[in-house]
This record gives sequence, C-alpha cells and structure tokens, in this order.
Amino acid sequence: MKQLRHRFKLLALFLFALFAALMLYGAYNIANYGTRWFSSSHNPRVAAQKENVIAGDILDRNGVVLASISEDGQRVYHPDAAVRSAVVHTVGSPDNKVADSVESFMTEYLYGFRSNLPDLIRNLFSGGTRKGDNVALTLDSTLCANIPRYYASHPVTGGKNGAAVVMNWKTGELLAVVSLPSFDPADAGVKSIDETGQPYWNRVTRGRYPPGSTFKIITAAAALRAGMNTGDDTFWCSGSLQVDGQHTIRDFSGEVHESEDLRKAFKLSCNPYFSDLALRLTDARLRGEAERFGFNDNVLFRDLVVENSVYPSGIRSDYEVAMSGLGQSTLLATPLHMCLVAAGIANGGVMMEPRLIREVKSPTGSSVLAFSSEAYRTACTPETAAVLQQYMKDVVQDGGSGWRARISGMDIRGKTGTAESSLDGKDITYGWFIGYSADESLPYALCVLTEDIEDGQTGGTTSALVAKDIFGYLLQINGQ
Amino acid sequence: MSRKKASLKAGKRLCGVVRLFFFLAFLLLFFRDNIGKGWSFAEWNWNALILAGAVPVMITLGVNLLPRLFPADRLLLSLTNFLCALGVLILYDTKPLYARHQVIAYGIGLIAMVICIYLIRGIRSWRFPAILLIPVSLLLLALPLLIGKEKNGARNWISFAGASMQPSELVKLSLILSVSWFMSRRKMIPWFLFSAACLGLLMLQKDLGTALLYFGVTLLLYWGSSGNTAVTLLGAAAGGGAAVLGYRLFAHVRLRVAVWRNPWSDYDNSGYQLVQSLMAIASGGILGVGLGLGSPTTIPVFESDFIFSVICEQFGVIFGLCVLMMYVALIWRGTVIAMAARGSFHALTAMGCTVLIGLQTFVIIGGVIKLIPLTGVTLPFISYGGTSLVSSMCLVGLLQGVASLNEDDLEEDAGIASVGLD
Repeated sequence: MKQLRHRFKLLALFLFALFAALMLYGAYNIANYGTRWFSSSHNPRVAAQKENVIAGDILDRNGVVLASISEDGQRVYHPDAAVRSAVVHTVGSPDNKVADSVESFMTEYLYGFRSNLPDLIRNLFSGGTRKGDNVALTLDSTLCANIPRYYASHPVTGGKNGAAVVMNWKTGELLAVVSLPSFDPADAGVKSIDETGQPYWNRVTRGRYPPGSTFKIITAAAALRAGMNTGDDTFWCSGSLQVDGQHTIRDFSGEVHESEDLRKAFKLSCNPYFSDLALRLTDARLRGEAERFGFNDNVLFRDLVVENSVYPSGIRSDYEVAMSGLGQSTLLATPLHMCLVAAGIANGGVMMEPRLIREVKSPTGSSVLAFSSEAYRTACTPETAAVLQQYMKDVVQDGGSGWRARISGMDIRGKTGTAESSLDGKDITYGWFIGYSADESLPYALCVLTEDIEDGQTGGTTSALVAKDIFGYLLQINGQ
Repeated sequence: MSRKKASLKAGKRLCGVVRLFFFLAFLLLFFRDNIGKGWSFAEWNWNALILAGAVPVMITLGVNLLPRLFPADRLLLSLTNFLCALGVLILYDTKPLYARHQVIAYGIGLIAMVICIYLIRGIRSWRFPAILLIPVSLLLLALPLLIGKEKNGARNWISFAGASMQPSELVKLSLILSVSWFMSRRKMIPWFLFSAACLGLLMLQKDLGTALLYFGVTLLLYWGSSGNTAVTLLGAAAGGGAAVLGYRLFAHVRLRVAVWRNPWSDYDNSGYQLVQSLMAIASGGILGVGLGLGSPTTIPVFESDFIFSVICEQFGVIFGLCVLMMYVALIWRGTVIAMAARGSFHALTAMGCTVLIGLQTFVIIGGVIKLIPLTGVTLPFISYGGTSLVSSMCLVGLLQGVASLNEDDLEEDAGIASVGLD
C-alpha cells in the first residue's frame, strides 16, 4: 500500500504537469497571438461592435487626420487623394481589402474593445454612443505622398511598381511605408482584387523578393565573423567564376575587377568574389548569419504583420550556395526586412523593432498606449557593424555602385542590389537600394525597391535615385 | 479537531462566496432579459430569477446536506457544485433551453452521486458486481452501433422514449470499477480483455476522444497498481502506434491533425470551429467581455466541446485559469482520498475517478486552445449533456464514497485508541 500511495502521488504530479502545460501554452499563445486572433477579419465580434461604436481617428505623426468618421458613421479619409492612396496600405480601406492594416490590426483600440475602466463607467452613465480610441501613427504623411511623385519623376522608375520604407534606425519608428501601385480608398470598388499589379497588396510587409546584392551585407558580415578579411585574403576577379563545372557566375555588366579584397569587392558589388566567399563560408555559416539578421524568423512585431524572409534549408548544391552569397538562389526578403538590415548596421548591429504606433489616446485625451522602442535582435557586434558602415560608405561616397544616392549635407551610406527572378516564365529584374544617413541628428534608414526595371538598369541607377529624393526631403524637414 | 473545524469554516465561507456569485450572475441575466420591457410583469422572463434562487439552494443542498448523512469531503463537494452551477449559468446565458435541461440533469446528478456513495459504502464484496458489469457494459457500448445515431461524426448516441443518452459516459464508471477490482486482485487477463473490447467498440463508433480517455485511464491505473514502468511504456508505445495507424487509415483523423497544425489555412470549412474558439478566447482578453456580452454562440458546439472558450470570452483568461485551478484542486483532493483508502480496490477506484476527470479536462481544453488535436469529449461538470453530467457526478460519488469509508475507518481507529487508553 505504501508503494501504491507513492505512485498515486506521482500520477497526480503527472496530471498537474499536464495542467501546467495547458496554462503555460494558453498564456503564451494569448500573449503572442491574442491580438492577431482577435483582429482577424473573420472575427464576427468586430463587425458587431462596429455598429455600436464610433471608431477612433487615425492620425499621422504630425497630427494630420488620415482617417476619421463622418456624421453618418462612415470612414472618411484625408481630403488629398495623393495622401489617401499613399498611406492606404497602412491605414486601411473601408471594406478591409488591405490585409492587416491599422484599421484591422488596431481594431481593439479603434473600436474601443480595450477601453479603460474609468472611460467605460463614464460611458455607462452618460449613455452616449461609445467612441473608440484615436491612434496616432509614426508615419509622415507628406513624405508618404511624396514618394510616388519621386518614382514618377525619374524616367527609369516612373510607372513602375515598387515599395519604399523609411524608418528611424535609433527608435524603429516607421516614417513612410509606400507600396506601388496603390488605390484610392475613397474611390470604392474601382479596382478588383485580381487587378494587375495587385494594388491591395502591401509590398513593404507582404512582398517577398530575392534580395540580390543587398544581401552581400550579410555575406560580408559572415566573412567578418569568420575572420576572412585579412589583408592577404585577396581574390583575382577575372569577370567570371566557374561553379559545379557547369555554371558560370558573372558580374552584371561583365566587368573584370582583377585583384580585390572584401572592401573593394563590396564597393563594386563583385559577384564572382561573393560567390567564392559563400562557398568558402559554407552554407551553414551563411544561413547562421542570415538568421542572426532575422531571416527564417517568424516575426511577431507589436504593430505590424510582416511575412518572414527566407534563407532555404536542406542540402543545397555548390551553385545554390554560391548564388546565395549574392542574395539569389531561392532567398526571399521583404523590403521592410532589408530596411531593418540597413538600420541594424547603422545602429551598431542592433536592429530596432519597427513600430508604427506613436500613441493611442482615449476620446477624453488620456494616453492608452505610448510609443516605446525596443530592440528586435542583435545581428552583429559593433566592430563588425563599424566595418560594414565603412564599406557601405564606399558604395555611395567613393565611386561605388550607389553613388547616385549621394546628397550633399548628408552622410549617406548604402548598398545597391539588382536581383532577378522569373515569374510565369518571364524574367523580372528588381532594383534595390538600402541605405541610411549616418548623422546622429538624422537617424534614418530606408529601403527602396523598383520592380521590373528595364534591361541594363540596376538598383544603383533606379532605386538609388528615389532614395536620394527621400533623403533630400528628410534633410529639408530637419532644417539643414 | 481544531484543524478540522477551521477547514469546515473555510469551506463554509467558500460556499457562501460561490452562492453569492451565482445569485448575482443570474440576477444580472435577469436584468438583461427584461431591460426595456417596462413595468408589465406579465411580459417579463422570470427564469433567470428562479435560477438565481434555485441554483444557490441546490449548491446548499449539495454541499451542506450530504455531510449530514455521512462523512463527506466538503471541499470536493464545493468544487463540484461550483463547476456544475457554472455550466448552468453559461448555458442560460447562451441558450436558455439547454440550461433547463442542465438543471434537471444537475438534480439527477446529485441524486446519482448519493446513490454512488451508498453503493461504495454498502457493497462489501465487489467480486460479483465487477464481473457482472463487464457484459452489461459491452452490451451498452454495442447499442449505439445497432440502434444509435450519428452526431458530430461519431456514432455514440442512443435514444429511446424521447430521451437520448451516450452509453460510453456510463460505461466509464463500470470501466473504473471493474478494472480497479481486477487490478486489486492482480488478475490481469480480465481487465485487459475488457478494456480492449471497450476500445474496439469505441473505435467502431468513431468516438476517438472517449477511446483516448479509456486507454489513458486504464494505462495510468495499471501503472499505479503495478508500478511496472516497462510494460506501461510498452502500452503507451502501442497506443502511439495505434494513433499513427489511425492517422494513416482514416481521413477524418488526418483532417483533425491538419486543422490542429494550422486551423487558419482552411478557415471556411474544417478550421472554422477552432478558429472561432481561438478568436473567442482572444476577444475576451484578460478580464473578459462580461457575462451576457460578446458573441459566444458563433462558436460551433459552444455548449459542450467549446464551453471553455465561452467561459474565457465572458469572464476572461484569468477566470479560465481559475477554472483550471479548480480542476487541479479536484485532482489533488481525489488523490488525497485515494491515498487515504485502506483497501487497494477503493484506492484504485478513487484514483481512477481522479485520473479520468483530470485527463478528460486536459483532452478537451487542450483541444480548444490548440495544444493538442481536438477530440470531442465534454468538459466534466460544465459542458451541456445530461449523461456526461450525471456520469461526472457519479465519479465524484465514487470518490465521496471512498472518502466517507476513510473517515469511518479513522473514527474507528480513534475509538480503538481511546479504548486502549482506558
């Protein structure tokens, strides 16, 4: 009997362990996914609540009202169509055509599901219709509205689809999130969901593109971690590199760079050098570095739903590994993520969590939620970041591939990328520019992507031009 | 003795709080039902007010009257009655007709509990009942296959004379009694064949959740009685093998697993239930939307399988955790009773009831919060379903019976000791 009792005790402990698993799993999931589950467009409670509550306003960082509620209870947007369509992917549209916009992701505040107790009691006694909280974004709506104009102003980028994102690399505040083509939320039902170019799709957070040469920042970081940047570690670039006996990796324009080290290869974005480097690093180390920079991470940001970027796993051929060093093969990254990579380098290796919400205020003016910045992850050491900062400076300021983004009065650094992929049998070239301003007083990082650029164009000849215009705007608003 | 008095006082206080909670909750629903109806009393819906009086009375009867008849565990009674009344409350809030059925089942359950207590106290030799229960149980389990009807994919219901019941709920009791008796006599073959036959019949009914419970309880009881870890692990491995086989063979099992892994991928069809459940829990947040608010009825089978999601939506995650803690306390009391039992049959019976309640709660709550694939079993005491409620109350009855015998034995010991002192 004594043994029986002892075993009963263990059985009870086993059951307690099961219950502990229930509680921990439940609490963990609700803490992490609760908001996402709740604000799902499938949730019938949201629609029900919308009928009884006057939704809160959505404002930009300067207090410009981007979305409010009219007398008859309908959402109305900014009077300027250019502003409306530039921020629509972030703010949202009346019928929720845009997935995970502020309108749906912040439902709990906008529609007053999370009102604080004093407000609830006040409402109970006043008997009036409840009003949701106002949400102030970190966006600068003027900048957002300017970005489509910048694209249009250059023949090489005019009329192209693309994505641009600007953030503060110190705090993570997003100043601009623009996806092209866009649509006007006030002009209901003009475009169907299958419209060519997919105007409802937020390319900044949802679009996954081959990162191309912008990924060389990560390849270079892996090389620095492995101690491969010693002075005698030079490479002879003959214009091409044979891999696997059957594949030849060339530079975009077939240039021959001759003798080069990591710094020079980075500045000139030399493909043979980086594919050779990737092979020397091995797939495992390159993947490890990519994951330190946030690839393959199932990102759960507080304010945004972002697709995860992919560095493929499994056994891969030498050619695939060599191409991975150039950000090709089957690598995929979102424009927001590549902006985070640039911002992380600017911030000494610490990638800040991108944030879209500046403040949530109740209708009575009390602050419900205030902006707080937090680190997303530490990608590399400050020393490695400092070396990469220098390399990225060369790209823009020392005759490298990104020289077109240079602007006087600002210390711009960056990396260009020209990535290729085939879509429905058609080869498409993407032009990238990711970069940042190194001034402490102008702590901005950006990523500009242009889809389907013309033959002979590169990221440095297309997106870098838009990036320059954006930096010009940022310089101007900061009064320098 | 003073310690006992203190615990008695604490139990009474707990019971008082519980009664107040239900009184206020039903009063709130009464106001909700009748708000805006003016002062014409004829049009008012008085049901909630009746329940506001009746439920606390039932709790009083359940918790205070029984210990006058024989020594009973008050804490266990308070917990059980709280959970039953919570079920009635949630059902009244979501579907008043179900609440009426549930109150009747609650009453029957209380009587059945008393009967079970008397059975445990009265029957001296369980040899004959344990043997007799085997054919009766197998017959009961076979009935749905012959004359049953299908509900939610499983053919586990029978109906006669307008009433329907789920035999597998009642067979749970005989499974525990018979298996415990044979285990206490160290006769392995009979209980093994009996539980294997039950599992086979449940598989034929496609009632995988209940099959999982039967299997888990038998396996854990076997380990409890024998301590043979090697054979227990072998049994668990065989169960795992059967699960893999089931996954390979049956499309509906594969579907359940696929839904568990990602319910959002097929929102409109197979994932609908689970997604609705998760959204309900998330909508409640920490403190819940409040009794009578929210849209809990959008969850399919909210009244039985998903009632825990409804509780979380209305009362919040905090309250959901408290409900879980109540089951934990119930398991703790059950284990204490089993450990205090003098004979191994009574000890194993008490432990069997405890393990069954614990496992069943884990399986269904784990299912609705997406920890494990969902299998349709009821949440003990709370879920809508007469057979399920009565059977859960019977389990508590068996536990109480063992507890009362333990108390008797203790008093006898004390009597002997005091005689010895003379």
